[in-house]
Amino acid sequence: MRHPGSRTGIIGWGTYIPVYRIKAKEIARQWGFDDRITDSIWIEEKAVASADEDTVTMGWYAARSALVRAGVDPSRVGAVFVGTESKPYAVKPSSTIIADALGISTRKLSTDLEFACRAGSEGIRIAVSLVESGTIEYGLAIGSDTAQANPGDVLELTASSGAAAYLVGPANESVAFFEYLVTYVTDTPDFWRRDGSRYPTHGEGFTGEPAYFHHIVSAVNMLMSESGLKPSDFDYAVFHQPNGKFPLQVGRMLGFPKEKVLPGIVTPWIGNTYNASALLGLAKILENSKPGQRILVAPFGSGAGADAISVLVTEKVLEKVGRAPTVEELLSRKKYISYAEYAKFRSLIYRNLG
Amino acid sequence: MMVKTYVIGSGVTRIDRHYDKNYLALVDEAVSRALAASGLDVSDIEYLVVSTAFSETMLNQADPSTYIAQNLGFRNLKTLTVSSGEVSGAVALDYAHALIKAGKARKVLVVGFEKMSEYPSWVTNKAYTKILEYEVEGIKNVTPPDYAALIMSEYMRRYGVSREDVVKWSIKMHENAVKTPHAQLQFTISADSLGRALRISEPITMLDSHPVSDGAAALLVTDESATKKTGREPVEVVDVESSVNLPVYLRDDITYFSATAAAYKKLSTKNEIKLSKTTAVSVYDTYDIYGLLIIEALEICEIGKATKCLDELPFLNVSGGLKARGHPVGATPLYQVHELCELLSGASWAKYDGDVALAQVMSGPDNNAWLILLKRWA
Amino acid sequence: MRHSITIFWRLKDNHYKIYVTKCRDCGKTSSFKRLRCPYCSSKNVEYLESKGLGELINYAISYYRTEGSEQYLPRVIGLVRLDEGSVVVGEVTDVDLSELSVGMRVEAVLRKYSSEDPNGLIYYGLKFIPVIKR
Repeated sequence: MRHPGSRTGIIGWGTYIPVYRIKAKEIARQWGFDDRITDSIWIEEKAVASADEDTVTMGWYAARSALVRAGVDPSRVGAVFVGTESKPYAVKPSSTIIADALGISTRKLSTDLEFACRAGSEGIRIAVSLVESGTIEYGLAIGSDTAQANPGDVLELTASSGAAAYLVGPANESVAFFEYLVTYVTDTPDFWRRDGSRYPTHGEGFTGEPAYFHHIVSAVNMLMSESGLKPSDFDYAVFHQPNGKFPLQVGRMLGFPKEKVLPGIVTPWIGNTYNASALLGLAKILENSKPGQRILVAPFGSGAGADAISVLVTEKVLEKVGRAPTVEELLSRKKYISYAEYAKFRSLIYRNLG
Repeated sequence: MMVKTYVIGSGVTRIDRHYDKNYLALVDEAVSRALAASGLDVSDIEYLVVSTAFSETMLNQADPSTYIAQNLGFRNLKTLTVSSGEVSGAVALDYAHALIKAGKARKVLVVGFEKMSEYPSWVTNKAYTKILEYEVEGIKNVTPPDYAALIMSEYMRRYGVSREDVVKWSIKMHENAVKTPHAQLQFTISADSLGRALRISEPITMLDSHPVSDGAAALLVTDESATKKTGREPVEVVDVESSVNLPVYLRDDITYFSATAAAYKKLSTKNEIKLSKTTAVSVYDTYDIYGLLIIEALEICEIGKATKCLDELPFLNVSGGLKARGHPVGATPLYQVHELCELLSGASWAKYDGDVALAQVMSGPDNNAWLILLKRWA
Repeated sequence: MRHSITIFWRLKDNHYKIYVTKCRDCGKTSSFKRLRCPYCSSKNVEYLESKGLGELINYAISYYRTEGSEQYLPRVIGLVRLDEGSVVVGEVTDVDLSELSVGMRVEAVLRKYSSEDPNGLIYYGLKFIPVIKR
């Protein structure tokens, strides 16, 4: 059955991971956690944005790589969406800055989206509809975050920085087309940040079963039952990954063997990049995929909602992988910093300015 | 009959961080000394030309020439303020020179001042960075010592010169400052301190860079008619020349100060002079490396060999240069001319019997270079 | 207000991308979009967009503290010869002081120049990092 969206696909993709890393055990020891906690949730180290980086600068790099891989002139891009929960400005879109910096047409739709960690993938769904309806030729969806980590909170072990970008366009030009897309959304208060509050608040255990697991399982089940696809039809399954353990767990719950889930896991080495989380995992898989393979992508955002997207790889993917830095190249580009340098970069230290 | 211009008297303040004196007090001190040296009174002045680089930025004062006149208690004169970055003093003197040559004035008081110590260093540094191009360098946090560092690195690499070689310039400057009553840093230094010296922009350290200075210098510039009144021999201002350079990043060779060289070619051709190792010169050594490059551009030393020829230059920066005498920016060129006048008239610690003296003034890394040619009273 | 909003907005072209000005009269290239050739003053110029890749030909490690830029000390200021031929001056970031070397390949990336005023604008512009793709 031809599903809305299947005339569109991914024309190009790009990612960005900052160079700096801090070891999770260093954070744990700083605040007196039993450092075994890092193994229990499977987090080894996380990426830290430098003092001169933010959602805009990282999103720009990922988007530029996406355009380079796509080989599409920026003037033909008709929409730019930035999904983020760490907007540099509460009011002033990051998307317009990235768009102008890349020379994208002034005739475009453009906005920043918020839905905790899944606004980037909502941006993909919106771009898909715009392309499918003939409103635009190509749409750029970016997920980028410099996640706010409350010092001394368990989430500080994982909250990190990174970006991923996808250029959506006609399926016949794509490296992978969208076979099926669904989204499952409810009002579930598992994790939130009030306006003006520096760091988010979360429900700890509540963020698990009623939020992350329920929504991803519901979305994926919805996709399977409507499309008739089964886990065995998929070669890979990539999920939102707040730590290394959760995606393995939800994969098991859904009947995916470990080997199909592991390739898409990146969090243990870069932390939870929030809006880039599942999308970075997807990029890594695309960079190692073969034409004809089928990938399940299931991002999740607190508040709460999950997408389930079935993506089919085409032969065009092979020639585009090497045109821009790959996730593996970015993973291996790293320098370790101390907690003090991390605190300086992330403005945790109060300074009297002016 | 060609009109000639002369410096018939000059006066300067000690250079220091004068926390207790505002710019008006410093200016008054310098002006009083200059008037006394020239046998003139405030009421003789027809034109007041004031030179300052940062009075608007740091003293919140636009056109200080008006307020200097008001505070001197004499208002029947023309005044103007020259704000031309690091070359303000040279431009101010050239303006006075032109006024007299054109017959528009006969007695001009040229006063330069600066109060670089008025704010903490992070504010002063930001103001000083305005001498570079704001939209290209200032906005991107490229600062003056960064260019000095890039130029020093390139020079050392290209000519096989060491850090110890380069700092010889500063060592010589401090030796001269010890003998100069108005100099800011009257103590000697040694290359042994290089390893501990605070780095400003590596490889530039505090041992290589001018200090933060307050000061004021005043010159009485006149036509021949006022020269009989003075006690000290007048000095003729023969000529002033200048040239502009390319931005540093567009230069083929950042170690060659081509604006200084071009101004020198014009000046030396027009006036049939050639500088030798024993000519009295006062050059703008904001950093020791710049001092070395200037004497190469002026053809006093061979390219790449300035550090080796320093000992052969007895009348180079006899007052200690910007490095040790100090650098109260808007006043600095006028200090240079005052010092050369002392040399030519026998009032300096150094005994000079040459006929001519040259002051070289420049903005940043030779972005804009000025030369002032002075001659002994005949 | 630290920098003028208008100045920064007007300079976007020169901050978000590196352009090279090529003179059709004397043939020389110079960095940034310029109205005239800085060598021969001709207005007969055209602009090329640089790929942002080049070689670090010189660098200084700056401890010079200016108001508003304390967070990024020490800065590395470099001269970069672009692959297109002309030289730019700019900051080099994301680099250990020990890995800096004359001749290393660098690429231009968008970063923050300053954002100290919590109520003011964030100024974005290009800096150089060691090239990621070799």
